[in-house]
Amino acid sequence: MLLMILGMTIITVSILVNQITKDTFNKNNPNLDVIVGAKGSPLQLVLSSIHHIDIPTGNISYKNAKNIIKHPAIKFGVPISLGDNFQNFRIVGTEKKFFKLYNAQIETGSIWRKPMQSVIGFNVANSTKLKIDKFFVGSHGLIDTGDVHAEQPYKVVGVLKKTGTILDNLIITSLDSVWLLHSNKSDIKNSRDSLEVTALLLKYKNKTSAFSFPRLINRNTNMQAASPNLEISKLFKLTGEAHKAINYLSILIVSLSFAGILFTLLNNISERRYDLAILRTLGFSKEKIFSIILIEGMTISFLGSFIGLIFGGIVYKSIEYFSLLGKNIIAGQFELIYELFVVWFIILIISFVACLVPCIKAYKQNIRSTLLNN
Amino acid sequence: MLICENLLFSIDGQKLFSNINFNIETEKDLLITGPSGIGKTTLLSILCGLQRPTDGNILYNEINLYKLVENKIDEFRGKQLGIVFQNFNLINAFTIKQNLQLANTASGTEDYDHLYNLLQRVGLADKSHIKVSKLSIGEKQRVAVARAFAGKPKWVFCDEPTSSLDDKNTDIIINLIKEESLRCKASLILITHDKRIQSILNFDQILKLGEKI
Repeated sequence: MLLMILGMTIITVSILVNQITKDTFNKNNPNLDVIVGAKGSPLQLVLSSIHHIDIPTGNISYKNAKNIIKHPAIKFGVPISLGDNFQNFRIVGTEKKFFKLYNAQIETGSIWRKPMQSVIGFNVANSTKLKIDKFFVGSHGLIDTGDVHAEQPYKVVGVLKKTGTILDNLIITSLDSVWLLHSNKSDIKNSRDSLEVTALLLKYKNKTSAFSFPRLINRNTNMQAASPNLEISKLFKLTGEAHKAINYLSILIVSLSFAGILFTLLNNISERRYDLAILRTLGFSKEKIFSIILIEGMTISFLGSFIGLIFGGIVYKSIEYFSLLGKNIIAGQFELIYELFVVWFIILIISFVACLVPCIKAYKQNIRSTLLNN
Repeated sequence: MLICENLLFSIDGQKLFSNINFNIETEKDLLITGPSGIGKTTLLSILCGLQRPTDGNILYNEINLYKLVENKIDEFRGKQLGIVFQNFNLINAFTIKQNLQLANTASGTEDYDHLYNLLQRVGLADKSHIKVSKLSIGEKQRVAVARAFAGKPKWVFCDEPTSSLDDKNTDIIINLIKEESLRCKASLILITHDKRIQSILNFDQILKLGEKI
């Protein structure tokens, strides 16, 4: 049973991590075509700007960002500015149209009207207990370091409805708020063009621009353009090999557990063939003996795989809970675990077939010769 | 009524016994005797549906045993027959109570008061939770007797029930078997070469294998 538990635990964790990560990556990207940011790793730019799990590659000029949004190939563009957090939830400076990307709706309150006002995501509100009109101070950096902007607290003016995306884990404010905290300029309104943002989230008017636009940015500017879909698919290609290796390992372990169940039952039958013959003398039919052995084998298999499934879920939730990465990347939704149940069902079917071998052996047992030979 | 007609049994073409015929009325007794190796235990196995005869018929109240399909024979054995085997055939890993419950379950009676009374009569009620492997030979013999009557059988078969017992215990066990068969209104078919038994009990019929009575 231990092998079955171990195998099922590994399969469960592997499937959950793979499926929920893919699902989360898909949900987090609101059909953005390209991200423009400072030069560096394009994957890092995508992860930090859309999925909020890596540090940004640097900053770009706000003036350049505005010019890019006006480019004829661009249908929609919104700048974002990162740099602070509150209790590990990232504070994103942006424009009000950012909410349109995620079809976000306000649950209570409103969107900000002036700097240092903020709108918080669903998970932020639940986790931090922040409410409308409450104040909080941001910490420098993207994880909680304790180095805070105590002199200028944010005020919560709105709480968002649950979206099932990374937006639930974000604190959204105006660009001006971020600039107020991080620039030396006293007159933000008149010096915006000299300020910086972290990245620009863009949608093309026409998908054919996917070839020409990134080349234009990458060759002619000190910025880079990265395609979220391309970078994430590259990431999955890399991690996919590791997933495959884990899956092969778990298949091997589960196969060993099938063999374990088979040989345990065969061994039990050899040890108990005398007892089984006695049951026959008492009036238990061959069919009844067959079903007793089958129930025993399937109980081992069902319990082992079920415990493995539960352990897998616990291990997965622990990974999600204890890792900062998990907190930001995983939406915590179990919609896709139907695949897990398919795998569980297949395991039970194979166990059933494996159990038939000892059942048939017990079925064919000759009572009288067994009793005489004992 | 149990009718045994022209029973023949051969192993590898060699006859072990043939032309066995007898009738036993309900609630009557039969003693089957004969020297070792004559086929007494094989005959008991055939009568109990555990070993198909080469030829002949066994009829229990007009039910031809070997005309039934195998699981019906098993069901019939569980509901109508009680067997005390020579080597007891108890499940050593189970307790006394569990061994009796198995027979009770197979018979479909599920009468736990009956089991308790049986255990009291064989003097093992206080030890019902003890595993069979920890019992003495005499105690195992008594469990085997109790189990044979657990399903309230109509025919009780005993194969050399006293072979490993001294005179005192032989007397106790034989009287116990007789008392329980009277209580159940069951026919008793006892197979033995133990001459002490005939001095303890009177049988309605005696069959000496190889001889006509």
